[in-house]
Formats: sequence, structure tokens, C-alpha cells
Amino acid sequence: MLALTFRAGETPLAIDTQLVVEVLPRVTLQKAALAPEAVVGLLPFRGTLTPVVDLCWLVAGRSARGQLGTRIIVTQVDSGARYVGLLAEDVSELVDSRDTILGLNNLDHTWLGEHLADQPEMPMIVHPSELLPDALQRLFEANPP
Amino acid sequence: MSRGESQLASRLSMFVLVFLTLYAVFAFVAWRTLDQVRVKGPYYTEIMLGNELIADVLPPPQYIIESYLLTLQLIDERDPSEISRLIEEGNELRVTYEARQEYWKRALDDSTMKDLMTVTASRAAMEFFRIRDDVYIPAIRADDRVAARAALDQMRQRYEAHRYAIDEVWELAETRNADYEKRADALIGEQIRTLVILAIGVVLVVVVMAWFARRSAQSLSARVLLVSDVAGRVAQGDLTTEVPPSDAGDEAGRLLGAIGGMTQSLRGLVTRVKQASVELMSTATEFAATSRQQEATVQGFGASTNEIAAAVKQIAATSQELLATMEGLNAVSGQTADLAEAGQSGLSNLDSTMDRLAQAANAMSARLAAIREEAAEITGVVTTISKVADQTNLLSINAAIEAEKAGEQGLGFLVLAREIRRLADQTAVATLDIEQMVKQMQTAVSAGVMEIDRFAEEVRSGVGTVDRVGGQFGQIISQVKTLSERFDTVNHGMRSQSQGARQIGEAMGQLLDGARQTSVSLREFNAATEGLRDAVTVLKTEIAKFKLGND
Repeated sequence: MLALTFRAGETPLAIDTQLVVEVLPRVTLQKAALAPEAVVGLLPFRGTLTPVVDLCWLVAGRSARGQLGTRIIVTQVDSGARYVGLLAEDVSELVDSRDTILGLNNLDHTWLGEHLADQPEMPMIVHPSELLPDALQRLFEANPP
Repeated sequence: MSRGESQLASRLSMFVLVFLTLYAVFAFVAWRTLDQVRVKGPYYTEIMLGNELIADVLPPPQYIIESYLLTLQLIDERDPSEISRLIEEGNELRVTYEARQEYWKRALDDSTMKDLMTVTASRAAMEFFRIRDDVYIPAIRADDRVAARAALDQMRQRYEAHRYAIDEVWELAETRNADYEKRADALIGEQIRTLVILAIGVVLVVVVMAWFARRSAQSLSARVLLVSDVAGRVAQGDLTTEVPPSDAGDEAGRLLGAIGGMTQSLRGLVTRVKQASVELMSTATEFAATSRQQEATVQGFGASTNEIAAAVKQIAATSQELLATMEGLNAVSGQTADLAEAGQSGLSNLDSTMDRLAQAANAMSARLAAIREEAAEITGVVTTISKVADQTNLLSINAAIEAEKAGEQGLGFLVLAREIRRLADQTAVATLDIEQMVKQMQTAVSAGVMEIDRFAEEVRSGVGTVDRVGGQFGQIISQVKTLSERFDTVNHGMRSQSQGARQIGEAMGQLLDGARQTSVSLREFNAATEGLRDAVTVLKTEIAKFKLGND
């Protein structure tokens, strides 16, 4: 499996490249009124308004730093029916991984999955379809691609 | 206090009592007099009794009854001498009647009674007298008894008319008298009442007066006693007495106030005198101490003067030695001037070297500034390279993702994308190194600039210092030159000094004489101070007899 690695705060994370649509530099986002704090804004992407979630906010409780490595990973959820953007730091590495192991998985954070066992920092795999709360799900339904 | 009060008040009361008694006696006498002389009073009764007696015993002149009786007597008389005596008597009666008639005409007021008395009764009487004189007397003298009886008849008719009128007059007079008596009685009664009221009023006024007199006497004597008490205590030297303030503006109040003021000012005076005597005492003591010190000083002064004279001789000797030393010094100062000139020329060379150093430092500073600018440009280029590398990394990631999605067909492209990403990473690392190096260089340049600046500043201050030192050398040279002139002056001064020392020795001898005289005067002064102290002691004892209350 080819995985894209990145960080949210100090936590190393990874995502399967099969779910990644495109990696974009951090661009200016439209503010999403009345959205949860983790949703930093809306990204116009391929004719849709894609919500962007700050993973740093979710994991470390702080906004992502404004560095060159901080990028938006556009992923597809619901079998490619919708997009969701993930704002993360140090988005710069691609790794080939053959082995995964289960880690301690919190029931409240079902969007975090197994660890990549054959990588030095053993990053946890992110499942974007589990990521959004119900409120954001409804937001998607209002904006089909 | 009670003794004084009783004195004044009792004297006043006695006066009032005497006055009241005298007044009562006077009132009683007045009443008695009035009572005695009143109408129907004892005197009046006596006088009236006398009048009545006279009226009863004497024949009334205005009543012609006696003339009528004489005419009746004449008719039967035969003796011619008796006849002429009776006629004579009758003539006298007529004269008396007319005289009294004139009196009553003047005395009586115009009234019915006067009419009756002076007109009615008088007319009848005058008729009576005329008939008697014209008819009756001639008939009697002619011894014509018939004619005489006829005339007598006529005369009797006139007499009757007269008597009638006189009776009426009597009645009227009685009535009038009774009326006057009543009026007099009433008047006197009224007067007595007035007298009684007046007496009561006077007694009341006197009582009020007595009360007022007693009251003012009491207050007056109380205050006078207070004043005398205060004055007595002041006389004994007790000045603590406070005189209560008097609100009464009368003489006693003013006296009280004056005594109070006097006591207060006396107290102030004594206090001041007391303080002054204490100060005087201490001053006298100081005087004594000071004069004793002075005496000692003067004695010491004599000894000192002798020492000074000896010292002055030594000074004269020393100044001679000093003269020799000064000449040696003069030679040394000439050498100093030469050395200072050599130093000044050396400094001029140093000055020019310093100027060149300052210029070099400025040039170095400018070059370092240029280097700093270059470094800033390098930083800009490095930033651009960093951005490009980042962009390349992003592109390679996306390319790799796309290649992965393409599966087997994208495999070659995936390798290529990976290679590109590696290059981009290497570029990023290189730019990071460059950035680090440039930063170090910038720090070094900054430190160099600071160092150079500091060096330039030091050079500049060095130049200033060299200038100052040069100036000081100049001053030294000029001063050393003037020194030799001064040395001459000093030599001259030394000579006058040894001369002056001799003069001082003479003056010291005179001073010694003066000191002896001063010592004698001081002893006299001491005696005078002792006298002053004795006098002050006496003054203090006298003053201590006054009590002031605040000590």
C-alpha cells in the first residue's frame, strides 16, 4: 500500500493514496458559518464546496501552523461520491507499507485506524469517511458533487 | 463681707427710717393744723364766738334802731341840755351809719343782698334821717309837740320799712354763711384726703428707694470688698488671684476691671522680671566664666608671645636657607622646559598617525555594510529556491498518487515521481544549509561592524586626548618659563620676610605689655561681675516673694 504520511501536532498519521484525490498548498478558504470549530472553511474544488477539517485541532487542540509543509489533502469518501479536505502539517512523504497492526483505538475517534508497522514512527491510518460528525454529514448532503 | 455690707446698708436704712419718722411727724402736724383751723374747728368756733359776742353787745350801726330809740326819747324830754345831747348823739349815729354804708357799698358784691342793704334799707334810713333833721328836730327845738308826733309817726313808718329790709338781709347773710361753711368744710376734707394719698405715695417711693439703695449698696460693697481682698493679696505678693469679669459698667465694675488688668499686667511684669533675672544670673555666671577664661588666655598669650618671638627668629634664619634652595630649583625648571618641548613634537607625529587610523576604520565599516547588503540578497534568492523546491515536492506527491491509481501502467511514472521528489528534498536541504550559512555570515558582519565602530570611536577619542596632552605640554612650557620670574619675586619676598620677622619681634614685646594690662582689667571686671551676681541674687529673692500660680 502506498501511504501519504503527515503530522497533526506531534502525532504521526498516514492515509492510503487510493483515497487521496489531490494534495493542494494551503490556500485561503471561505469561512463556513455556524460550522464546528474543527472545520476551518470551505474549499471550492472541482465544482463543489468541500469542507476542510483541521486535524491539528482534532488531535492536538490547536490550529495548524502556517508553514510550507502544511497542506490540504483532498480525499474522497462514500466511494468517491463526496470530498473532504484534511488540513495537516508536514505533508511531504510517500511510503510503501506492507504491514499494518491494530493499535489502541478510541471509540470516540473511529476515524483513527491501524498503525503502519514497518515504518519508523508507526503512523496511524486516517479513515476520512469516519471523520466528520453528523452535522457535517448533513452539510455534505446539502452539497452533492 | 457681712460687716461691710451691714455698715453701708444699715446706715442707709437708718437714713430712710429717720426720714420716714420726720415725714410722719410733718404729716401729723399738717393734719392737726388743718383740723384745728377748719370751719367749726376749735379756732373757728372761738373767733365766731367773739364775733357773735361783739354783735350781741354792740348796737348795730347799720340798724337804725338806736336812732329810732333816741327820737322816741326826745319826744318826752324837756331839759334843753339833754335835748341837745340827744340830738348830738343822733347826729353821730347818722355819721357812723353813712360811713358804714359807704364801706358796705364797696365791700359787698352785686347781689340781692347788696340791693337790699344799700338801696332798699338805705333809702328808708335816709328818709328817716331827712324827716328827723328837717321836720322832727326843728319841731322839738320849737317845742311843737304835735308836729313832732306827726313827724315821729312818719319816721316810724320809714323805720318799719328799714327793719323789714334789714331782716331780709339778715336771713340772706345767714344762708350765705351756712353755704360758705359747708364749702369750706368740703374743701378741707378734700385737702386732707389729698394729703393722705400724697403721704402714702411718698412712703411707697421711699420704700422703693430704700430697696434700690440697699440692693446697689450690697452689690457695690461686695465688689469693693472683692477688690480690697484682691488688692490685699497683691500687696502680700500673691498674683495668682483671678478677678472675675464684671458686666456692670458702673464705677465699681470699672474698678474691678482695672484691678484685674493691673494684676494681670503685674503678673506679666513679674514673670518677665523673673525670667530676666534668671537670664541675668546665667549671663553673669557666663561673664565670670568667660572673664576667668580670658584671664587664663591672656596669661597663656604672654607665654605664646615669647615663643612666637623665638619662632620669628628661626623664620628669619630659615628664609635665608630657602633662598639658596630656590636658586637650585631655578636650574631644574629650565631642564623641565626642554623636556616638555621634546614631548610636544613627539605628540604631533602621533596625532597624524591617529588620523590615518580613523580613516581606515571608516573605510572598513563601509565595506562591511556592503557585505551585509549582499547577504540580504542571498537570503532573498534562497527563499525563492525554497518555494520552488516545495512546489516540486507537492507536484511529485500528486504525480505519485496519480501513478499509483494508474496501477501497472503508472509504475514507471511512479519511479520518476519518486526521483523528482528526492531531488526536491535534496534541494530543500541544500537551501536550508545555505540559509544557515548566510545567517552566520550576517551575524559575523554585524559583530565586525560593531567592533569597527567601537575602534573608530576609540581612535577619535585618542585623537582628542593627544590634542589635549599637546595643549597641556604647551601650558607646562609657558608656566615653566614664567617660573623663573616668580623665583625672583620669591627671593625678594624672602628678604622682606626676614625684615618683617624682626618687626614682629618688636611688636610682640608691645603685645606682652598690653596683655599684662588686659589681665589687670580682667580682674577688675571679675569683681564687677561678682557684684552683679550678688545684685541679681537679691532681685531673685525679692521676685520669688510673688506667687504667679503657673509655677
